[in-house]
Amino acid sequence: MATTDGDSATASQRLDKDTREKLVTAVRHTILLTWSFIVLFPLYWLASMSLKPPGTANSLPPDWIFLPTVYNYIQLLQNSGFVGAFANSLIMVSASVVLVLLIGVPAAYVLSRYDIPMERDVLVWILSSRMLPPIAVVLPFFIIFRELNLFDTRIGMVLMYVSINLSLVVWVMKAFFDGIPETLEEAARVDGATQFQGFRKVVLPAAKPGIFSVAIISFIFAWIELLFGLVLTSFEAVPVTLFVYSFIGSRSIEWGMLAAASTAMIIPVVVFLIAVNKYLAAGLSFGVVIKE
Amino acid sequence: MARITIDDVTKRFGDGDESIVAVDDVSLDIRDGEFIVFVGPSGSGKSTLMRIVAGLETQTEGDIRIGEQVVNQLGPRARDIAMVFQNYALYPNMTVEENMSFGLKMSTDMSSGEIEEAVTSAAEMMDIDMLLDDKPGELSGGQQQRVALGRAIVRDPNVFLMDEPLSNLDAKLRAEMRTEINRLQNDLDVTTLYVTHDQTEAMTMGDRLVVLNYGELQQVGTPLECFYRPANQFVAGFLGSPSMNFFEGAVEGGTLRADGFDFDLTEQMQSAVGTRNDLVLGIRPEDMTLHDRANSGHEFEAVVDVVEPMGSISYVYLQARSQSHDQTFIVETDGQRPISEGQHVYVEIPDEDVHLFDPASGETIHQRQLGEDAEMALEEQMKPAE
Repeated sequence: MATTDGDSATASQRLDKDTREKLVTAVRHTILLTWSFIVLFPLYWLASMSLKPPGTANSLPPDWIFLPTVYNYIQLLQNSGFVGAFANSLIMVSASVVLVLLIGVPAAYVLSRYDIPMERDVLVWILSSRMLPPIAVVLPFFIIFRELNLFDTRIGMVLMYVSINLSLVVWVMKAFFDGIPETLEEAARVDGATQFQGFRKVVLPAAKPGIFSVAIISFIFAWIELLFGLVLTSFEAVPVTLFVYSFIGSRSIEWGMLAAASTAMIIPVVVFLIAVNKYLAAGLSFGVVIKE
Repeated sequence: MARITIDDVTKRFGDGDESIVAVDDVSLDIRDGEFIVFVGPSGSGKSTLMRIVAGLETQTEGDIRIGEQVVNQLGPRARDIAMVFQNYALYPNMTVEENMSFGLKMSTDMSSGEIEEAVTSAAEMMDIDMLLDDKPGELSGGQQQRVALGRAIVRDPNVFLMDEPLSNLDAKLRAEMRTEINRLQNDLDVTTLYVTHDQTEAMTMGDRLVVLNYGELQQVGTPLECFYRPANQFVAGFLGSPSMNFFEGAVEGGTLRADGFDFDLTEQMQSAVGTRNDLVLGIRPEDMTLHDRANSGHEFEAVVDVVEPMGSISYVYLQARSQSHDQTFIVETDGQRPISEGQHVYVEIPDEDVHLFDPASGETIHQRQLGEDAEMALEEQMKPAE
C-alpha cells in the first residue's frame, strides 16, 4: 500500500515537472515571438510600403493584401539625385571607415602596449570628442569647414565621419588589444620578427574580429548620419540620408519613395554584415578569443 | 649551442625611491649544453632574469654573453634563442604548421622545402604531425604545449628558454611532459634555461638549480647539492615537499632550548655554533621518527593535530605538548601506521639529520650528515666542471 502511494506520488511529481518544463518552453517561445514581431514588423511595414502602388502607401485602413510593384524603386533609380547621393554616401562612408581604422587601430595598439604619460587622460580626451551633443558643435564645424574650403566636399564629410567614429575605434580596439597576451608579440620577436612585423603578422590577424566589429559599427554610424550632412553639404557631397529626408516635404510626405529609399539604405549595411559575420560574434565580446 | 655568462646583472623597475630591484647583482656561468633551472617563489626575479637573457628586458647594469659575444645591445631576434612561454603564446590565426615555420621564415633564408622538412621532422619528434593543419584554438592544453615545444625545437637555436611551460597543465600531463622535456634536452643537448616555481620540477629536471629569492642568488648547485647542502634557511625550506621543519631556540650550555622541547647539540654542532646565542634547527619531515612511548629520553611528547594519508606514506601534523606558541610541524610516517588526531606520540630528532641556521642571516652553520656513498657522490657532483 505504502509502495503504491509512493509510486503515484513520484509519478505525479514527474508529471508536474514535465508540465512545468513545457510551460517554461511555451512562455519562452511566446516572449521570443513577441520580441521578433516587435523588431521585424517595422521592417516588414517599411518594405511592404515601398512595394505598394502609388497613392496607396499610407492609405487607411492599410491594404494588407495588394499587388506588389517596383514602381517606387524604378522612380528612385531614375532619380539621378538619389543615385548620386547613394554613391556619395557609399564612397564617403567607406573611405571614412578605412581612414578611421588606419588612424584608430595603431593608436589603440600604442595606448595598449606602451607606457604613455597620462594615458588615462589621453583616453578621456579622445572620448571627450563625443561628449557634446552634435547640435552643439555643428555650427562651429560649419564655420571651420567654410574657412578650410571643406564645405560641401566629400573629403570634408569623410573627415567629419572619422571624427565621429575615432573615439569608438580607439576605445574598443584598446580593450581588444589589452585582451591579446603580450607574449604573442614577444614570441614573434624571439622568432625573429621585428616589432612591426610582430604587430602586422601576429597581433593584427588576432585582432581581426575586433577590427571588423568596429568597422561595421563605424560604417553604420556614418551611414545613418544626418545632422552634419544637413549643415555641411549643399549639393556635391550630399549623403543619402539627406536625400531620403528630402522626401519629407513641408506639406506632404512621399511615403512610397521614402519607404523605397529607406529600404535601399538598409542593403549595404546588411551586405557588409553578412560579409564579416563570422568575425562579429568574437569581436563583440571584446577580444575573448585567445585560448590560453 | 652556447655557453651563457651572466655578469653582475641588476634589473630595476621604475625610477628613484619607487624603483623595485627585480634582479640584484646576479652572476652565473652556464655551460654549453647544460640544463639550468631558475627556481624561486613568485617575485623572486627568476622570470625577469630569463627575459633579460632573451632580450625581452634590458638589464639596468651588467653584461649578458651568449657564446663569446656580449649581447646587451642585441634584440631577441639576433640572439638565436627559442622560447616557450607559460601561456604557450601560439599565434591564434595560424595553423600549427604556420606557427612552427614562422620563426624559420623570419630568421633564416631556408627554402620553403627545407622549412617544410624541418617542421615535419620536429612535429614527428613531438608527436604532433597529425595536428599540423589545426589552429591552436582547436587543440587541448597538452597539445598546445607540444606545439609550443615543437615551435622552439624546429628553430634549432643556440639556447632554449622555458618560462614555466608546464604550469597550465594538469598534474598527470605535467609529470609526462617533465619526462619528455628531460628526454628532449638530453637528445638535443642544447643549453636550456628553465624557469619554475615548482620545486618538484626543479629537483627532477635540472643539471643545476639556480635558487633565487627577492632577486638575489641564494644558491647554485645540483638538485641534490641544494637539497642536502642548502646554503641557507631559504633554500632548505624551499626545496623538499613538505618543507623542512624549523624550530627557533636559544643555546644554553650545549643545549638548544626550543619551544616545547630541548635538543642536545653534538660537539661538532657546538663548535660550528660558536658564540651564537640563538639558532634555528632544521629537519626534514622524512627524517623525524615517531614512537608510541619514550625510549631513550631524547624524544619529546607531541599531540597529533592533523593526519594526511598519501597512501604509502602519511603526513602527520604535530604540536609539541609543552609548547607555548601555536606551532605545527610535519613528520612523514609509514602509510600503514595507525595514527589519529589527538593521539599523543613521542618525536625523535636524529642528530645526524639536523641542519642549523643562523637566525639573523639565515646562513647554514651546520649541515646534516650523509651516508658515505652519498657523501662521495655529492662531492663528485660539487667538483667544479672543467
